[in-house]
Amino acid sequence: MSFLELQNLEKSFGDTRVVKDFNLNVAKGEFISLLGPSGCGKTTVLRMVAGFEAPTSGRISVDGKDITRLRANQRNVGMVFQSYALFPNLTVAQNVGFGLKVAGVPKSERNPRIADMLALIGLPDLGDRYPWQLSGGQQQRVALARALAPKPQMLLLDEPLSALDAKVRVSLRNQIREIQQQLGITTIFVTHDQEEAMAISDRIVVMHQGVADQIAAPQDIYNRPSTEFVAGFVGTLNRLTADVLDPETGHIRIGGSEITLGQPLPAGRVTLSARPEAFRLAATGIAAQVTKVEFLGALISVAAQIDDTPVSFVLFNGGDDPVPEPGSRIHLQIAPSRLLIKQAA
Amino acid sequence: MSQKFGWNWLGVVPFLAFALLFLMLPTMNIVIGAFRTPGGGFTLANVQGLFSPRIMSSFILSIQISAASALLGCLIGFAIAAAMVHGGLPKWLRGPITTFSGVASNFAGVPLAFAFIATLGRVGLVTMLLRDWFGINIYAMGFNLLSFWGLTLTYLFFQIPLMVLIITPALDGLKKEWREAAEVLGASGWQYWRMVALPVLFPSLLGTFALLFANSFGAIATAYALTGSTLSIVPIMLYAQIRGDVLQDPHLGYAMAFGMIVVTGAANLVYIILRTRAERWMR
Amino acid sequence: MSFLLSTLRRRLSLKRLQRRGGPRPKSGNGFRRFWSWTALIVGGLYFFLPLIGTLEFSLRMRRGEYSLDAYRSVLEDPRFQQTLGYSVIMALATIVVGILIVVPTAYWVRLRLPRWRPVIEFITLLPLVIPAIVVVFGYIRLFNTSSFLPMTGTTMGTNILLMFGYVMLALPYTYRAVDTGLSTIDVRSLTEAAQSLGASWVTIIGRLILPNVFGAVMSGAFLSFAIVIGEFTMASLLNRPAFGPYMQILGANRAYEPAALAVIAFAITWACMGLLSLVTRITRVGRAGK
Ligand SMILES: Nc1ncnc2c1ncn2[C@@H]1O[C@H](COP(=O)(O)OP(=O)(O)O)[C@@H](O)[C@H]1O
Ligand SMILES: [Mg+2]
Repeated sequence: MSFLELQNLEKSFGDTRVVKDFNLNVAKGEFISLLGPSGCGKTTVLRMVAGFEAPTSGRISVDGKDITRLRANQRNVGMVFQSYALFPNLTVAQNVGFGLKVAGVPKSERNPRIADMLALIGLPDLGDRYPWQLSGGQQQRVALARALAPKPQMLLLDEPLSALDAKVRVSLRNQIREIQQQLGITTIFVTHDQEEAMAISDRIVVMHQGVADQIAAPQDIYNRPSTEFVAGFVGTLNRLTADVLDPETGHIRIGGSEITLGQPLPAGRVTLSARPEAFRLAATGIAAQVTKVEFLGALISVAAQIDDTPVSFVLFNGGDDPVPEPGSRIHLQIAPSRLLIKQAA
Repeated sequence: MSQKFGWNWLGVVPFLAFALLFLMLPTMNIVIGAFRTPGGGFTLANVQGLFSPRIMSSFILSIQISAASALLGCLIGFAIAAAMVHGGLPKWLRGPITTFSGVASNFAGVPLAFAFIATLGRVGLVTMLLRDWFGINIYAMGFNLLSFWGLTLTYLFFQIPLMVLIITPALDGLKKEWREAAEVLGASGWQYWRMVALPVLFPSLLGTFALLFANSFGAIATAYALTGSTLSIVPIMLYAQIRGDVLQDPHLGYAMAFGMIVVTGAANLVYIILRTRAERWMR
Repeated sequence: MSFLLSTLRRRLSLKRLQRRGGPRPKSGNGFRRFWSWTALIVGGLYFFLPLIGTLEFSLRMRRGEYSLDAYRSVLEDPRFQQTLGYSVIMALATIVVGILIVVPTAYWVRLRLPRWRPVIEFITLLPLVIPAIVVVFGYIRLFNTSSFLPMTGTTMGTNILLMFGYVMLALPYTYRAVDTGLSTIDVRSLTEAAQSLGASWVTIIGRLILPNVFGAVMSGAFLSFAIVIGEFTMASLLNRPAFGPYMQILGANRAYEPAALAVIAFAITWACMGLLSLVTRITRVGRAGK
């Protein structure tokens, strides 16, 4: 049985249905990300789990117990907000100890726990500072410690990294993941950044207009998106239209070039969706003209035009291989296994 | 200073001249006068004169009324503002309450006294209604508009709205996430208020209290129109003294005015000290 | 009142329904709302009863029936017209002089003397701490006929003194209003832009800064008007025939007219505050539209 179960969760504000028939089972210790564009209902789902919003219908249970009607202060969950939300009148240590204090834990037990938590987030010496004396990244780490101090049964994070600058974002997300694995705490992480979700999640829920489009491990979301929306939202997708010349062998024409994919295709026109890494340079194949080359170290990102259709793809930096120059003409082969093929209208 | 700012300070000379001439010099004149003999020498006799029973009791009454009306004004005004901001009242109520607070906080002075006489005076509307409908004769029960409680009740008419006006922005400054963070950490509503919201608001509350205190301590018009000279609060005694030198000793007037500055100044000093202690967590 | 009560009752019963079936309402909301309405209703009673009481009392002059006799009596009193006229003129003069003192100062402090701001602000807040009666006592002693500036020696001098006293009383409000208004525009860039086009200081303040803080200045102006129009202490101690002392004298001698006066005074205050919030709203909308 799953640890956290969301069954047929619905939420409406007035007449707008913001979350629709949402189902999710989370195993104990799992790290789940809710991923989707702004306004798709991620925060609303999280707030229902936290107990700040009552579902219009549906059921939330933890460990088999129905908590749908429990108040937020009785759910024993930890929550981290985008805006840090540290109490400005309390020191770092007092912030971290807040949950313990309201639970009536005596000072003698509180203090070692606070010290442990501050050590866990790597800020052992900042206990006496006030929130305004910390950087954004430090504040968010304190917020994490505060959420974890009362040993919650799960951790909820609502875009905790969005207010931070890029570098801190990456290091803090790794730290969050490390701490989560160390404690084995069930975690729901809300983000609109697909790279972030990919990097740290066990499973990702891709949300779209209040609906969970796909719930799967990052590589499955990326490689086998179940809907057009997921495919487009997660990672870059190149869309090409092709005329099928021979459905049996998969012989097609794209722009002025013809290639054979070697697998059966529907007759007529098809749309091919391909990830950047599905392409490789070859001596023959689809003719294209390079428009831009970005050297990224291990990878080289190339933008090109097939007739008028822009495509972008990546090459491994093989060291001595020639790097295409902007303006040069190249030929591309596509790995058929990496293609999503749909009959065009 | 002139090297640092060049001639820029010239721009505020008109303002400083105005403040000096019409605010600071007159006040200084009174303060100095309080320590002067009629002949011009230094003396402490005037200030000692303040400690006569009659003047002392007027100061005590004034302080009591001011403290009571400021305290009640803070409490009730806070309750109303909190109800308006965090109490789940409909949003449209905010505009009318704020505008009304603006009006009521400025509706002080003589007309306010008239309004309360017409309402709670011996033949006022509420007095009559209570007597005729409920058989309650508040005057027989010892109520008197021209008393400590009567005056306090009247002062609340401008004290409460003033509190509402000042504390509402402070309440708006309480972030929703603080409340939610506290709640999800297991705190009850009361624990959130005690451990987070009230400490955050404390400087504003304190400042408003000091302001309300000074506000009613210096108020004359309402009390004078309401009670004439029957209630001897400090400003009314000083008013009578200035008009007709009723205290025989004109320099006692200086001392009383000086005493008033000391009291309001002390209230604000207490505020500043407490505030700096409460605001260690602030920038 | 009955409307409020019925709304309250409806909310309470709704709440109970939600408890039994349906999903849980947001934590503690019903409880909180109950106390909110209680606070509001008690407050409402306290504030409206005196107003209703005054209105009712002002209509009671004719025995046995309601009439407007008290209002007629007041409005026909030549001293009412004179004193109100005097106070209106004083209020307008106070507003003009207040603007002339406050706007350039607040502007200059923001532009060139940001370090002086705490000092200037402290001075503008002093009138909230020093009772007006103390200040006017000082005026009487400082500006008497044998002093360096014998303002109380002539009627005009006393009028001007009273007007400056009013500017001082309104200072905390006008300065804060104007300073808040200035904080919404970029004083420095506006000024530099104007200077690079060769504008003079008078042009900059009059044509550029003032229109931009017009809403704030008007807020200060209406507040000043409301403060000055019924002011009692200063006018009375300086022996000027203002509306405040007139009301007090009438109150000491008549029964029903004071109530009518209170209603009129309340209406004037209400008009000032109504215009104030109107101006605030309009300028806010205008700014949001930009
Ligand atoms: N309290 C509320 N009242 C009305 N609408 C709301 C409320 N909270 C959220 N919404 C609406 O619900 C939708 C989903 O919001 P949210 O869950 O915050 O999205 P996300 O977190 O994915 O950006 C949005 O269209 C938002 O406007
Ligand atoms: Mg969100």
